[in-house]
Amino acid sequence: MSVYTVDGLHVRIDGELVVEDVGFAVGAGECVALAGASGSGKSQSCLAPFGLSPGIPAGSARLGKTELIGADPATLRQIRGKDVGFVFQHPLTALTPHLTIGAQLSEAWRQGGAPPPSRSDMIAALDRVGLDEPENRLDQFPHRLSGGQRQRALIGMAIAHRPKLLIADEPVSALDASLRAEIMALLDTLRREDGLALLLVSHDLAAIGRHADRLVMLRGGRVEESGPAARHLAAPTSAYGRELVAATPRLTDPPPDLAETGAPLLLAENVHVSFPRPGWRRGRIEAVSGASLTVHEGEALALVGGSGSGKSTLARAIARLGPLDRGQVCWREETLPERKRMLPRYRRLIQPVFQDPAASLDPQWQVSDIIAEPLRHLRPGLGKGDRAELVGATLQEVDLPAEFADRLPRALSGGQSQRVAIARALVSEPEMLVLDEATSALDVLVAGRVLDLLERLRQKRNLALLFITHDLAVARRLCHRIAVMEAGEIVEEGPAQRIIATPAHRATQKLVTASGV
Amino acid sequence: MRALLFRRLLTAIPTLLCVVVLSFVLMRLAPGGPFDGERALDEETRAALDAAYGLDLPLGEQIILYIGRIVRGDFGPSLVYRDFTVSELIAQGLPVSLTIGGLALLLSCALGIGGGLWAAVRAGRWQDEAVMGAATLLTALPVFVTGPLFVLIFALGLGWLPVSGWEAGSPSHLVLPVVALALPFAGAIAKLTRAGLAKALNEDHVRTARARGLAESQVIARHALRPALVPVASYLGPAAAGLLTGAVIIETVFALPGLGRYFVQGALNRDYPLVLGVVTLYAGLIILFNLVADLIYGWLDPRMRAE
Repeated sequence: MSVYTVDGLHVRIDGELVVEDVGFAVGAGECVALAGASGSGKSQSCLAPFGLSPGIPAGSARLGKTELIGADPATLRQIRGKDVGFVFQHPLTALTPHLTIGAQLSEAWRQGGAPPPSRSDMIAALDRVGLDEPENRLDQFPHRLSGGQRQRALIGMAIAHRPKLLIADEPVSALDASLRAEIMALLDTLRREDGLALLLVSHDLAAIGRHADRLVMLRGGRVEESGPAARHLAAPTSAYGRELVAATPRLTDPPPDLAETGAPLLLAENVHVSFPRPGWRRGRIEAVSGASLTVHEGEALALVGGSGSGKSTLARAIARLGPLDRGQVCWREETLPERKRMLPRYRRLIQPVFQDPAASLDPQWQVSDIIAEPLRHLRPGLGKGDRAELVGATLQEVDLPAEFADRLPRALSGGQSQRVAIARALVSEPEMLVLDEATSALDVLVAGRVLDLLERLRQKRNLALLFITHDLAVARRLCHRIAVMEAGEIVEEGPAQRIIATPAHRATQKLVTASGV
Repeated sequence: MRALLFRRLLTAIPTLLCVVVLSFVLMRLAPGGPFDGERALDEETRAALDAAYGLDLPLGEQIILYIGRIVRGDFGPSLVYRDFTVSELIAQGLPVSLTIGGLALLLSCALGIGGGLWAAVRAGRWQDEAVMGAATLLTALPVFVTGPLFVLIFALGLGWLPVSGWEAGSPSHLVLPVVALALPFAGAIAKLTRAGLAKALNEDHVRTARARGLAESQVIARHALRPALVPVASYLGPAAAGLLTGAVIIETVFALPGLGRYFVQGALNRDYPLVLGVVTLYAGLIILFNLVADLIYGWLDPRMRAE
């Protein structure tokens, strides 16, 4: 007996069909995953029948015996409050900032018609979802909680009214690898203990393989394949399914074939970075304490760690984009000058690419101007014609057609924007790129292609890459060596295969487990 | 919270000092003096007057003496209204200004927030367009147009309300000046509320609230309204101080004995102590209302509370 059955679902937004003939059923205690690249209609399929998206649904979606399609808004509201719980992607924005955790939990609790919960009821509810210090959390505002804590609180609220169905829309995409594993394990526990039906939206096939019973793969709003998750992930029946599976980096993949690396290029020794405490308090917070690392010519080094481990701060200090208290950075035997004395000659050597492609491109500038900007400063001798030629060549190198030169960033997709950011970093012909979570904001397929592009550029230009990521599987796919950071220190470093096969430090072991070996 | 209050009060003192010293110097830089009239005074009388009011001392000494006096709460005598001290003049004018300004503030908040909310809920429909059109019109019309217009229509034409005057604050005398003063502010607040709410209703946390099964009215009241009012609060801080310390034009149009009139008269007559007294009061109120606005921010969004 299934809890939630969807049959022949169509969703239209402004007359455009975004979901077409989608069907699936979720039983009690079962997990069904909707997978697919962004824009494949997975979120719309989940949210539109419940009136939570601007999409207009048609077809059939039955919760128990109640038909949702065509139900009036008041009925849908009652169903949402009583029988269904929702967990959303961004824990930072999904909670109301001006209401305490307790106020929001109590609100969710009462929607199904239950009497107001006592304080001990609420403490028990937060304790159940693994939130530490539940007693104190009740009176805190959401911004006091970390991303993982907020997501636990959100799950606690989503199940407070004891729903039959839980809809989780990319519940862990915004979290780092070890938190992802913890939150997914929590959802599994709730499903087992309460017989909750779980409808999971995710683009992470590795996670789906570990947690879902059945899989519905969507592409352009249509079902490409559906059936038992394990079988379809092992042997996808559609070309799209094979492409998705191939693009998903996994620790169990055969080791990549990486070229030999050259002489030491960049040597960072005993780097310390600290920041003043916020407000009027005295003292400083140590973000990086005594980290050392070496990058060789043509080498890809991954800097891996959880959020807040100091990996970005270290990379910024090395690239002279952020502060550095003590320690030194050498480039081929020569000591790099401090941040404010970085001459164009040195700046040209190390170029950054950031996580959020949309935020790192000026929305008012054309693509060609964005890419040409570093040239103006780093190679001022270059004439206008040469500059335009170089920009054209670089666009081609990152696989973007020449007509993209006069587009504005808002006309680009996430993957295209990130290619423009890579082109901007490449145009001054650097010898090393610092990539700060450069593929984390992208969808699997797009991220896979960007990783391939980086690998090709590394070989062709003999580029060194310092690749910051929280995902070991991604690191392994691209990098020769992995350095693991925790609490501002590099706790383990070595060849990628060795680190993953025999992790020595507890932090590394945790990351490997989280990546699901 | 207590730390914030303490810090603000501490920084308020140097701010006020700067305001006093600057306006003191600026006033003296302006040509003319309090005793210049149509007929020039003879030297002796003039010197005697200057000596009596301490105007013959070096400027630095005058400033220090003046600051010493206001610390004790004494704003000195008015140089033009000879029988009154500045404190007495403020005590006469301030209640009038506070009554008119306070009522106008309440009315503009009620109309503005109410109207903005009503329009935002009907976003894209004709009611929304109508309210926003009216709001634009209200902000565009200056009070020296609406004031006399109201008098023409409601006082002279229909005879419902008195033309002007204060009459110890009788309600019928308050209606026209309060409404005329409130309308442009109401228009601005309505536009800010409407824009803030439209943005807030698209936030992720509002979707979470809807997913929780809350009725739309509850979604707005509990989850969307407070973030939407943040821009309104930042507008109201300085606007409130301006409203309460006297709207010169309104006071002139409706012949109200408020503070604004004294301020303008004082400046024209070079009545130094009167102008300085009103400026100090105004600066104090600005500081106070910005502090109130900061406290309101903290209530609207706890992330903005000072550490």
